[in-house]
This record gives sequence, C-alpha cells and structure tokens, in this order.
Amino acid sequence: MKKLIVIVLSVFVLSTLEVIGQCNSETFSNQCIPKLATGFNFLKSYKIEKGGKDYVEYSYVFTKGTQYMINICAATQPTDGIVVSLFDSGRNKVASSKVNGQFISAIAYPCNTTGIYYIQYTFDGSTGYCGGSALGFKR
Amino acid sequence: MAMRIIIIGLILALFTACGSGKKTDEQAFLEGLDSAKAEGPSISEGVIGDILQQIPSPLEISVLLKESGKKYNASYLNSPDNISKYNSNYKKALNLGVYGTDLGYTNIYEQNQDGVKYMASIKDLADGLNIGQFFDIETIGRLATNSKNLDSLLLITTQNFNSINHYLQTQNRSNLSVLFLTGGWLEALHITCEVATANPTNKELQETIGEQKIILENIMLLLSFYKESDQNMAALLTDMEELKKVYDKVNITYTYKESTFEIVDGVMVIKDNSSSTIEITPDDISNIKSIASTIRSKVIS
Repeated sequence: MKKLIVIVLSVFVLSTLEVIGQCNSETFSNQCIPKLATGFNFLKSYKIEKGGKDYVEYSYVFTKGTQYMINICAATQPTDGIVVSLFDSGRNKVASSKVNGQFISAIAYPCNTTGIYYIQYTFDGSTGYCGGSALGFKR
Repeated sequence: MAMRIIIIGLILALFTACGSGKKTDEQAFLEGLDSAKAEGPSISEGVIGDILQQIPSPLEISVLLKESGKKYNASYLNSPDNISKYNSNYKKALNLGVYGTDLGYTNIYEQNQDGVKYMASIKDLADGLNIGQFFDIETIGRLATNSKNLDSLLLITTQNFNSINHYLQTQNRSNLSVLFLTGGWLEALHITCEVATANPTNKELQETIGEQKIILENIMLLLSFYKESDQNMAALLTDMEELKKVYDKVNITYTYKESTFEIVDGVMVIKDNSSSTIEITPDDISNIKSIASTIRSKVIS
C-alpha cells in the first residue's frame, strides 16, 4: 500500500515537473525577430526544441539574388550550443554557424541559386536544448 | 485514508497531464463548415505542413519589383470590391492569398490608400473563414498611415499571415492553407508577368518567372493530395497542369561549388559559389502569362 501511494505521488510530481521543464521556444523566436540586421524583412520564425530528435529541420525556397539571414536566440549566450546549418536541395552543406569552436549567432546567405534549402538546427554541448530562430531577407 | 490519498493523487495527475483529446466547441463548429473543409487529404497533415513551409512569401517578389525600379500599378491587382463574389470557403481562401499578395505590394510601394481597402477585404474574408482573430486590422491600419512604420507594417502583416497558416494547420484545415498560399503565389506570378511584359528586356524578371517552376511543383503536389476528396482543388490542379506543360520547357541547371565565409560584425557572411542558369524564352514567358492569367481569372471571378 505504501509503495502504491509513492508511485501515485511520483506520477503526480513527475507530470508537474514536465510542465515546468517545457521549452518556451516561441519566446526565443520572438526575441530573434528584432535582432535581424537592419534592412532585412522578416519572413518566418522557427521553434527549436530538441525533444527526442537529433536535430530540428525546416525548409524554404531561397531565391537567387536575395540575401537571407538566419539567427538563433537561446537562454544562454551566444546560442546555448545550438548550431544552424544550411543545406541546398542536393543536401550539400552550404553554411554552418559553428566555426573553429566558436558559435556564431547569425548567418547571412546571399543566394546565387534558387531552390529548396534545408535549415537544420543541431545541439553541440547545449544545456537547455531549446531556442528560437528568425529568417529574414533583403534584396 | 490510504485509498483517499491514492484517489486524490490520481485525480491530480490527470489534471497536470499535458494535452486534451476533448473537442472544443470551436472545433466542432468548424467541422460543420462547408465543402472546403475537405474530407481529408491522402497524406498526413504533418507532411503537408513540411511542403507548405517551403513556399516563399509573395513579399519577396514585391520587394524585387520595387527595388528594380518598376513603378506601382494598381491595375495589376485584384479589385477589393470583388470580395462580394467570394461566397464559398474555397474562393475565400484562394482570394485571401490573392489579396495578401496585393496588400504586400501596396505596402512596399507605400500606397496606403489602396492598402486600407485590401486590409478591409482581407479582414472580411478572414472573418468568413473564422480566422479573423489573427488579422490585427487596427494595428496594421495605424501603421500604414506613416511611411516610417513600413518595417513594422511588413512585420505585423507577415506575422499575421504566418499565424493564420499555423492555426489552419493545427486545426486540420491545411486545405485552406494550401489554397491561401496558392492564391498568393498565383497573384505574385501574375504581377511579375505583367511587369515583365511591360519590360521585355529585363532578364531578371524573366528568370524570376522561370524560377517559379520550382514552386509550381510544390503547389501541384499539395493540390494532388486533395484531388480525390475536393472537386474544386482537383479542378485547380487540372488548371495548374496546363501551366506545368509550359514550365516543362523551362530549363534550370545548377552547378554546386563549395561556399566560403567570413565573419563580419559577429555575423557569418557566406559566399555562395554555386550557380544556376534559367533557360526561358520570350514565347515561354508569353505562354506562362497567358495560362496564369486564365487561371487567375477563374480564381478572382
């Protein structure tokens, strides 16, 4: 009987903890919008929540002659270990925001080739596994 | 006493569990709406969402046109007064997209008087689709009165449309998202064709038209998911297939080269060394314009 009580109370406590630990990625993606550099028009915001996945991925058609900016916002600076990588339609990696051990919080990509691009967020030494991102463009 | 603790604990655990499968009154109401609430696509809503997210914002084309020096021309746009013709959810969703593109075009050119009319029509259509709560007409209208607010105006408008799309997909109404984005894309293509016709030597505009081949493929894929369950979307797909026949003659070749980068003011600036060529002839442009115009006429009439 005591064991049963402990189990029931544990379920209650654990379910409460799950609520407290939820990732507030929308807040982070909203923070990223005004951080797009001057001249960039906002296009989309992306939630970055690791969950049970190795990475989080979105996609968008980039247009030749347009410059795009993707930034990352998270609880700890600069990006809490979140890395954004950009792949072209052939899955060639064309950009990655971690270089020489340094985490960069924004990528600017002047597109030369129209096509579907994959925006992938990975976690490298992250603690919160939670963040947000904004995509903007300018001509 | 122990039994009471167990019962209380179970009740509390149920209350703190995430999510609820209970249908809200709003969901039940929406599921009673007319035929544009499709019986269901032939593929999961998640996959549809993955394809939908790829479709670029028509705002990009409006910015391209403005910054290439082309003048504003209201005759390119769908009259806001045509709203009285849109009585089905199918027509409302399509023309919500059309008017969304038109609004972006008027905003970029700071044509606020025209913009206000499109805002009203958009609000009307959005209300008719029970998504009016996502279109903040008061804020948008206030921002539109001052050209210094252009950045904020474009931001709020884009956010509103993104919210509409997100909501529709979470409510299993992706069919309306597909129509919304299709209408917006078609209007952007139409405007680009009109401007290209007025500027026949402008290679950039010709290439922009040619590049729409990539987005057309996505749109046709999305429409195909509904062809068995929605006769309107099936008919629209048939129309798009005529457009595809012309685009089959447009060749896009792509050469990959590794990119390089430099860090400028804390931003990684990439140098894209890849290249692409778009082979499109004046006849192709003329045929694309003609067919796109025919499809658009059906959509806005």
